Amino acid sequence: MNRLSLALSRVIARVTDSALGPHQTAVIRIGFGLTWLLFLLREFPHRQELYGPDGPWEWDLADQLVTTNDAFTVLLWSDSQIWFEAVYALAVLWSLLLLLGWRTRTMSVLFMVGVLALQNRSVFMGDGGDNVLHLMSIYLVFTRCGQVWSLDARRARRLKEARARGERPRDRVGPALWGVLGLLLILATLAGRTDSDWFIPALLWTVWLGQALWWLVGRRARSGEPRILLDVVANIVHNGALLVIMAEACLIYATAGWYKVQGSRWQDGTAVHYPLQLEYFSPWPALGDLLSASGTMVMLVTYATVAVQVAFPFTLFNRRVKNVLLAFMILEHAVIAVVLGLPFFSLAMIAADAVFLPTSFLRRLGDLAARACGRPVPRGGRARVPGPRSPADAPADGAPAKAPAPAPGGAPGPRT
Amino acid sequence: MDAYDKGSDARQGGAGRGLPDPRPATPAPASPTGDPAPGGSAPGHPADRPPPPYSPRENPDSAPSADPASLTAPPAEPRSGVAALSLRYQIGAAAALALVAVAVCVHLGMTFLHVAPSNTVSKQHRETIENWIYPEFEQNWKLFAPNPLQQNIAVQVRAEVLTADGASRTTGWYDLSAQDGRAIDGNPAPSHTQQNELRRAWDFFVSTHDNDNRPVGHRGALSEAYLRRIMVMRLDRADAAGPGGTLARVQVRSRTTNVPPPDWSDEKISTTPVYRTLPWWSLPDDETRGGIG
Repeated sequence: MNRLSLALSRVIARVTDSALGPHQTAVIRIGFGLTWLLFLLREFPHRQELYGPDGPWEWDLADQLVTTNDAFTVLLWSDSQIWFEAVYALAVLWSLLLLLGWRTRTMSVLFMVGVLALQNRSVFMGDGGDNVLHLMSIYLVFTRCGQVWSLDARRARRLKEARARGERPRDRVGPALWGVLGLLLILATLAGRTDSDWFIPALLWTVWLGQALWWLVGRRARSGEPRILLDVVANIVHNGALLVIMAEACLIYATAGWYKVQGSRWQDGTAVHYPLQLEYFSPWPALGDLLSASGTMVMLVTYATVAVQVAFPFTLFNRRVKNVLLAFMILEHAVIAVVLGLPFFSLAMIAADAVFLPTSFLRRLGDLAARACGRPVPRGGRARVPGPRSPADAPADGAPAKAPAPAPGGAPGPRT
Repeated sequence: MDAYDKGSDARQGGAGRGLPDPRPATPAPASPTGDPAPGGSAPGHPADRPPPPYSPRENPDSAPSADPASLTAPPAEPRSGVAALSLRYQIGAAAALALVAVAVCVHLGMTFLHVAPSNTVSKQHRETIENWIYPEFEQNWKLFAPNPLQQNIAVQVRAEVLTADGASRTTGWYDLSAQDGRAIDGNPAPSHTQQNELRRAWDFFVSTHDNDNRPVGHRGALSEAYLRRIMVMRLDRADAAGPGGTLARVQVRSRTTNVPPPDWSDEKISTTPVYRTLPWWSLPDDETRGGIG
């Protein structure tokens, strides 16, 4: 009994006291942001055909479908060209800012708005990669994914240094951003534009009000406790979302694997041959022929694919086996990117895989990236984790959290 | 208490009460990275610290703001985590934890039932699952499963054109999928307009029409309009109407060919194409002039 309660309290302490996996959540933030950014840039010449009001899936058709399925898309708020171009350009901007980790929480919300706007507008243009991004853009909103490798983390560091020098820098951008977005949200709600399914509008309001609460508590609260409570709640939500993201990746592999087990072509060891011969998935026909030249090779790859997909969720219980399989899956997706001509699907899947990468590997990766940018690697050759967002400056939590939070009695805020 | 017998981790003092550790949380046990000091400037060593001012053990009932000491004297050390909270705030944290735990479990359960094959439970609770999943959490991960597609399905179109002098003529068949295929060849990043547009529009059409090509429900009508508009756009780009001509009607057909088995296989499969030809569709006025896409 004691052992059980000990284990339980240890788990509770873990999930309440910190936002776990700062590097993992940062790398998926960067991964999904980059995937969507590259996709939008690649499709820029085709944007009208894909999502424009006069494309084949014209505004009116999309509007009829969305009326029946209640999906959330700001793109259908107006059928004007200007609105479309603005939303597309903003979706590009938001994915870039999320990638950089600028006002991360706010940008994760806007990133989601951009993804949903375009994808729900033209559902029949998407593929599995879009599906992954769609889900992950929603899940990312719940995470504190800007703790490391972000402009927010840098700002928090500088803020701390400034405080150490006795300065009291004021954040004006955060509250301004919050104000503008809040105004838009209120206007949209009053105009009845958020009459879709309740979930996304409720999420927008929750984050917006949550940021206000965070800011108010940071400024006004006489004791540190309300602020610590909010910090704890944000940790819990983050850790829950991280679990969902990991489980979602497992569900993807498990579904793909277990359904394959039932397929006659996966059983007879020829499955891999077929996609390589499809007109729509063979950008390099000669490469496909080369890969399926040997029956033995095709059989081995076919069986390995199924085995790895089915096995992956179970290997999470063994770190070493998990890492081997993870390397295999990332490699396989890299091959799929080229051979089947699915770079954005593959990039999205690799980003999802990255949530399982070991911290030590991610840190080395971070160091390499820092060196490549010509920046010195901090202390001991290790990228340092800045203090996981202190409640007072909360780098990862978007707009209003930036305001300097005077701590009670002039004491430094908790954890600064 | 056997927790202490291990002697390895005195931080677990709160375990016996089934509550989170009431001591100031040191980052170490919580940090996945094992980073010794995520808190940055945390002074001192956790083991040496006095209990925090608001430890529930010390001060279970009083609101912290009522404690004058908290306003005048800085806390002995930075505090954070549940451990730094008084009981009533801890109850709030516990409520949040319970709520999130329930939400995560329900969401994962619903998602599992949504992607799993139809089964006893998912049939029984179909409506609940659909209400939870749709519209934003819809997903399908049967990637090349249970079997990969083993047919090339080409969508082809021809048009009836009204020429400038009032005569009408019928064009030959344009193989739009072959055009897509050529656009994809040697392309490291094919566009969704080349890879998904026509392919998925045709899937959408097939899934919303019966074998006699009659639309099933509202989505059938939508898919027809969508496919027609893609045809018009592509014919327009190919300048099928010619100078001064306009498109009057279009006809679509699909040509399905089995992918031949690999050379080293002794399987025999017919590679004779099978056609599915749709009726002629008249174009609405605005579409005869093009301007799509």
